[in-house]
Amino acid sequence: MLEIQNLNVYYGEFQVLFNVSLRVSEGETVITVGPNGAGKSTLLKTISGLLQARSGTITFLGKPIEHLPAHEIVELGITHVPEGGRLFPQLSVYENLKVGSYLKRARSEAAATLKEIYRLFPILDERKKQLADTMSGGERQMLAIARCLMSRPRLILLDEPSSGLAPRVVTRVLEFVHQIKAQGYAILMVEQNVRKALRLSDRAYLMESGRVHKEGNQQSFLEDPYIRKAYIGL
Amino acid sequence: MLELLLNAAINGVLLGGVLALLAFGMNLIFGVVKIIHMAYGQCVMLGLYFIYTLAVPLGLPLILACIISLPLMGIVGIALQGLVISPLLTAKANPLTQLLALAGLTIVFENLAQVIWGADLRGINVQLPVIHFGSIFLRTSNLIAFVGALLTLLGLYMFLNRTYLGLAIRSIAQDLDSARLMGINPRAVYYLTMAAGGILTALIAAFFSPIYAVHPHFGGSFTMMAFIIVVLGGMGNLLGGFIGAFIIGIVTSLSAALTSTEIADILALVIFIAVILVRPQGLLGIRVTK
Repeated sequence: MLEIQNLNVYYGEFQVLFNVSLRVSEGETVITVGPNGAGKSTLLKTISGLLQARSGTITFLGKPIEHLPAHEIVELGITHVPEGGRLFPQLSVYENLKVGSYLKRARSEAAATLKEIYRLFPILDERKKQLADTMSGGERQMLAIARCLMSRPRLILLDEPSSGLAPRVVTRVLEFVHQIKAQGYAILMVEQNVRKALRLSDRAYLMESGRVHKEGNQQSFLEDPYIRKAYIGL
Repeated sequence: MLELLLNAAINGVLLGGVLALLAFGMNLIFGVVKIIHMAYGQCVMLGLYFIYTLAVPLGLPLILACIISLPLMGIVGIALQGLVISPLLTAKANPLTQLLALAGLTIVFENLAQVIWGADLRGINVQLPVIHFGSIFLRTSNLIAFVGALLTLLGLYMFLNRTYLGLAIRSIAQDLDSARLMGINPRAVYYLTMAAGGILTALIAAFFSPIYAVHPHFGGSFTMMAFIIVVLGGMGNLLGGFIGAFIIGIVTSLSAALTSTEIADILALVIFIAVILVRPQGLLGIRVTK
């Protein structure tokens, strides 16, 4: 579904990603593990078009997308939940969800999608008139994910959905990710809670200093002595 | 004396309505395109000249002249975005450069107007009746401008709150990258905003046309007034701008009645400086902590 080959990304003259290759198949949940500054968020931003790669290719459903602007990439079915959610703080919960269905193809189904989302996240229905700014951290993260579902995506890029949340809330947010996974969406996730996130995943990548160092399925990551020591803390 | 003050206050409210519309346009452009449109009053001036040209030398009915000037000023807005603002944004020009470029534009507009229409006052000779309520007298033209401005603001409010496009505009104003991730094309919204901002100046010009005669330096004080209101209300805050417009309208109108129009302008600027000193984020602005 998503195929990335030899991606090189720079901030000015500073290279952040070095020959990164990665793929996500239909319905698959892939997690990227690595320390801060390894380039995981940069990778997601490059896929969604917020950043432009200097070289390399990104193919989505057989179509090269590395030169498309962000708003055209969403159109193709890739949605990106940035770190911290990046909600529109002065819009209500309902309005945040409504912007999520801005795409022409999503608008006609907006009412049905909204109903489905309220069923998944009843709290959003209760709080629909509240400003996004006034929600708690966990609720905001749920709203950010729900907002992206409104665009009727095929692939969801999740950047640290548990960032800055209390441990109890982290479990809840990751449960939501699990529910979304169960609906058949493909997910590419960056997450610091490596152990919990690996349990959700089908496959994983290890990224360090802008390079992919290891690729494997859930089991091989959970059993890898280096990953257990450096990222799981066992 | 009391009658004078009452009349001045009422005229201040009427003026406030049109100023609210003017400030709305500048605020919208600042919120979305993140540019302080220092030539906004000059666009009103240009709109007045368009209406004058269509109505007097070309002899069209005033209403028709006003309607034709709406798309014309919309085109001016689009041209400004394409020729001036878009290159500034592409070059990631710093705010001072942007401000200077827009300030330079005021000189271009004013001198262009002087070359084309000359330095004389150009007005449309329309006398609308004055309505008396006891000791209060209202000019119909001011009343039309006030009601028209309020209806326009109501329409814009509905547009921003009820439509997808309005929602896109508000989203971009709050978080550009997030808006792009929702599938919103910022370039298209910038052009749309500048076109709408241009059409608004023509509308204001239409409301002004039976009240004022235009000259090349007509716009300067309105740019200043709009800017003061926008800062007073909190930059980018539309409700703050609305309230600020009536404060400035009433204050300048009262002080003009009590002293002179020059003192009124000074007072408006004193309010402006006081706001910057005491509450830099404006009446309803949010303090930026990042």
